[in-house]
Amino acid sequence: MAQPLVKKDDDRDDEVDYSPFLGIEKGAVLQEARVFNDPQLDPRRCSQVITKLLYLLNQGETFTKVEATEVFFAVTKLFQSRDMGLRRMVYVIIKELSPSADEVIIVTSSLMKDMTSKTDMYRANAIRVLCRITDGTLLTQIERYLKQAIVDKNPVVASAALVSGIHLLQTNPEIVKRWSNEVQEAVQSRAALVQFHALALLHQIRQNDRLAVNKLVSSLTRGSVRSPLAQCLLIRYTSQVIRESTNDTQTGDRPFYDFLEGCLRHKAEMVIFEAARAITELNGVTSRELTPAITVLQLFLSSSKPVLRFAAVRTLNKVAMSHPTAVTNCNIDMESLISDQNRSIATLAITTLLKTGNESSVDRLMKQITNFMSDIADEFKIVVVDAIRSLCLKFPLKHRSLMNFLSNILREEGGFEYKKAIVDSIVILIRDIPEAKESGLLHLCEFIEDCEFTYLSTQILHFLGIEGPKTSDPSKYIRYIYNRVHLENATVRAGAVSTLAKFGAMVDGLKPRIFVLLRRCLFDNDDEVRDRATLYLNTLGGDGAVVETDEGVKEFLFGSLDVPLVNLENSLKNYDPSEKAFDINSVPKDVKTQPLAEKKATSKKPTGLGAPPPGPPSTVDAYEKLLSSIPEFASFGKLFKSSAPVELTEAETEYAVNVVKHIFDGHVVFQYNCRNTIPEQLLENVTVIVDASEAEEFAEVDSKPLRQLPYDSPGQTFVAFEKPEGVSAVGKFSNMLRFIVKEVDPSTGEAEDDGVEDEYQLEDLELVAADYMLKVGVSNFRNAWESMGVDFEHVDEYGLGPRDSLAEAVNAVINLLGMQPCEGTEVIPPNSRSHTCLLSGVYIGNVKVLVRLQFGLDGPKDVAMKLAVRSEDGTVSDAIHEIVASG
Amino acid sequence: MILAVLFANSEGNILVERFNGVPAEERLHWRSFLVKLGADNLKGVKNEELLVASHRSVYIVYTVLGDVSVYVVGKDEYDELALAEVIFVITSAVKDVCGKLPTERLFLDKYGRICLTLDEIIWKGYLENTDKDRIRRLVRLKPPTEF
Repeated sequence: MAQPLVKKDDDRDDEVDYSPFLGIEKGAVLQEARVFNDPQLDPRRCSQVITKLLYLLNQGETFTKVEATEVFFAVTKLFQSRDMGLRRMVYVIIKELSPSADEVIIVTSSLMKDMTSKTDMYRANAIRVLCRITDGTLLTQIERYLKQAIVDKNPVVASAALVSGIHLLQTNPEIVKRWSNEVQEAVQSRAALVQFHALALLHQIRQNDRLAVNKLVSSLTRGSVRSPLAQCLLIRYTSQVIRESTNDTQTGDRPFYDFLEGCLRHKAEMVIFEAARAITELNGVTSRELTPAITVLQLFLSSSKPVLRFAAVRTLNKVAMSHPTAVTNCNIDMESLISDQNRSIATLAITTLLKTGNESSVDRLMKQITNFMSDIADEFKIVVVDAIRSLCLKFPLKHRSLMNFLSNILREEGGFEYKKAIVDSIVILIRDIPEAKESGLLHLCEFIEDCEFTYLSTQILHFLGIEGPKTSDPSKYIRYIYNRVHLENATVRAGAVSTLAKFGAMVDGLKPRIFVLLRRCLFDNDDEVRDRATLYLNTLGGDGAVVETDEGVKEFLFGSLDVPLVNLENSLKNYDPSEKAFDINSVPKDVKTQPLAEKKATSKKPTGLGAPPPGPPSTVDAYEKLLSSIPEFASFGKLFKSSAPVELTEAETEYAVNVVKHIFDGHVVFQYNCRNTIPEQLLENVTVIVDASEAEEFAEVDSKPLRQLPYDSPGQTFVAFEKPEGVSAVGKFSNMLRFIVKEVDPSTGEAEDDGVEDEYQLEDLELVAADYMLKVGVSNFRNAWESMGVDFEHVDEYGLGPRDSLAEAVNAVINLLGMQPCEGTEVIPPNSRSHTCLLSGVYIGNVKVLVRLQFGLDGPKDVAMKLAVRSEDGTVSDAIHEIVASG
Repeated sequence: MILAVLFANSEGNILVERFNGVPAEERLHWRSFLVKLGADNLKGVKNEELLVASHRSVYIVYTVLGDVSVYVVGKDEYDELALAEVIFVITSAVKDVCGKLPTERLFLDKYGRICLTLDEIIWKGYLENTDKDRIRRLVRLKPPTEF
């Protein structure tokens, strides 16, 4: 039985607190709700019961359809009471119960009566309830009253109608759009809140009419807006108008910028902040425009209110990504925020400083961060680790202190995700900064000595097996690896055995000693560990003598698997151990498309705030595996580069096709990724007919059709071309999708037997010079440039003609060459008249190329460029110049 | 949109939770996330001192008011500053209803009135009223004084 509500006296405050809802139970409350049917209504008692119902609903309790209907019908009886307090409760509970369409009719007449009542507050509340529960038909009946209400003298009534309009616009836009005139009138209201709500609604009604929004903004920015909230809305709409308009060509002034700047002096902090944020987000904002906004944000950094500090540092963090120099003035204030009690603020401050800091400030910053790391949660630490990794890639010369920092935090307490972030960062730094390799590997070795995560230990062991043998002294890693065989679980032990074997296979001098260690593993109590040790001992050969391991053995043991894992898994499952030995050649190499039912189950998209979709797999490895599994392409040699997918169809067409260009030394393979978006069709024998008449140096050698392409299940078809070896041949290819289409019965999902041949025109595809260039950065451009020498240097000057900006010219050349910008030189400070950009890459044939581009503005818009190329091969340097000259 | 308003007691039990536009299956996740956020950070925080956090593209502003903690979650136009305004309205209105900083008991005693107050402040995810005196009159169905 539920406890009755007890009216509590204030002087009983010190007594033990117990909840007035203690032991509340839905069934009992629903019983109590019968008081609503009493002929003599007790308003106080009824209010108490409604409170209990609200309490249940607010706790996440749900009512069944029957229960909700019963309560709703009972509640409608309460309209008989004239008690104001009870009426207010009735309005709330009706909204909470959200009656279904067929029940609404019961309460409509009572609400309509209230809506035309002389009591203003009945009108306001009835409007809110009616709009919450109404549908289109009822809305047309009450539209007249709503339009009147929008211009009602009582601001509560007007606001109720306006906010209702905002909600109804989602469901019945055509009706609400008819209220424009009344809403326009309400925008001029003297009541601040009415103006705020009216402005929001008017903008929503007109948001697709650029001219109307422009007019609205023009008139309001000249006049006075009463509430800070409305002013904030106006700032947002103004930035939208600015985004869609162009600068004054004569003076270079931005329309409405003065209004935004004026808002920086508003008395409400909310408005100041909104204006500052709007300015920082302007397209191509100049430093002159940025300065006043940065100044107010800097003041907010030392505000006593955490929310303002957070908002300011968050905005400055964003600005730092595109205009790091503009934020440097705030560095001192930002440094004081590292000790901010609010860890979100401190983390943002740190990551901003890491973006804006220069090489000389790195060490000081690291000292501050070290103290800070101990008292923040893992999710913040991960953000910091990511920022440090970026910093290290930006200033490779600082790798020592940054790597030390990472190794120190690796030793401290932390969860899996955090440790994984650190390990991933160290691995990336080892790969990108050759000088950091040895120290990084040793840090990882020390970490696995005391690592509680099996996954990370095995990952590191695998990585050590790849990188360790290539170092100057591989023997120093053996101790760490062999320790795992003694101290860890079976999974890690098996990983360690494989890593040891890799060292033995790659470093001939170590082989005898590795054999001794591997032999000891033969007595391990785990099958897998023993099996691996036996396998390696028997295949590496030489009985532990210092001899070179056969390439074929290396490939067999450590080479990539040339069958898709899914196929291998299926074949192994079907394998009957009683029959003959399993033959890996029997595993099909074709990549099967996913069955429809399975696909549907996995393609369920996360809604609302759900987890983000998982990132794409490492594409280079995946492509390499995919192509090597196709026997026709196996003889093409090593894959040099795979491009990003190029769309060959418009979005939302019947068949979606994109293409990936795979470049080999003497071949090019086009991988067409196809998707059939028509549920009633099954496509068979899908091929792409390629016309290479505009690509003279290419000759088609193979085409691999796709057997079936069911609805919404991706599939691939390939076309291979031969081209002169090592040459960056370019050309244009036109594509036609050809297939047999079969009708599918939607009820059974079965396709008809007979099909019709059909074709579908795709967009043309171009092979350009940039396709032959790999984006590979260098850690220290200057050193790399000097060590490359002037032997194959080629320097020339070019006029790029009139351009919108220097940045546009720089980006065009970077994209043309397809090279990796180094040391952040792809970012051009605003209003610069000259700029130097450094690029690095590997050209087809594995030739390293470095490029130094010097741009200068010649006259008001004309851009001139000096291009200096150094490479390991004179013909490649010339080829780069040819690309630019013909681009 | 204001995605959620949540009140919890000092042990992390929910007193009021109101979600807007959050799918039912994600509510539990948000509830536990917010309560944990409070447990980690609200200890020793002064009454009405605002704390702020962001989770993906969503902002959270939260504080302590007597024995209860209050969380407001928003996205898009309801960023940290707008939410600070919302939570300020909520805390001042709740104090007004309770007559002082609420104990858990006092909060539950005034539960019905607090529900009405929240109904006046937030309507389906949008801020509607901001002035506590006006809200006090509106929950009693009295027109605002300026009218």
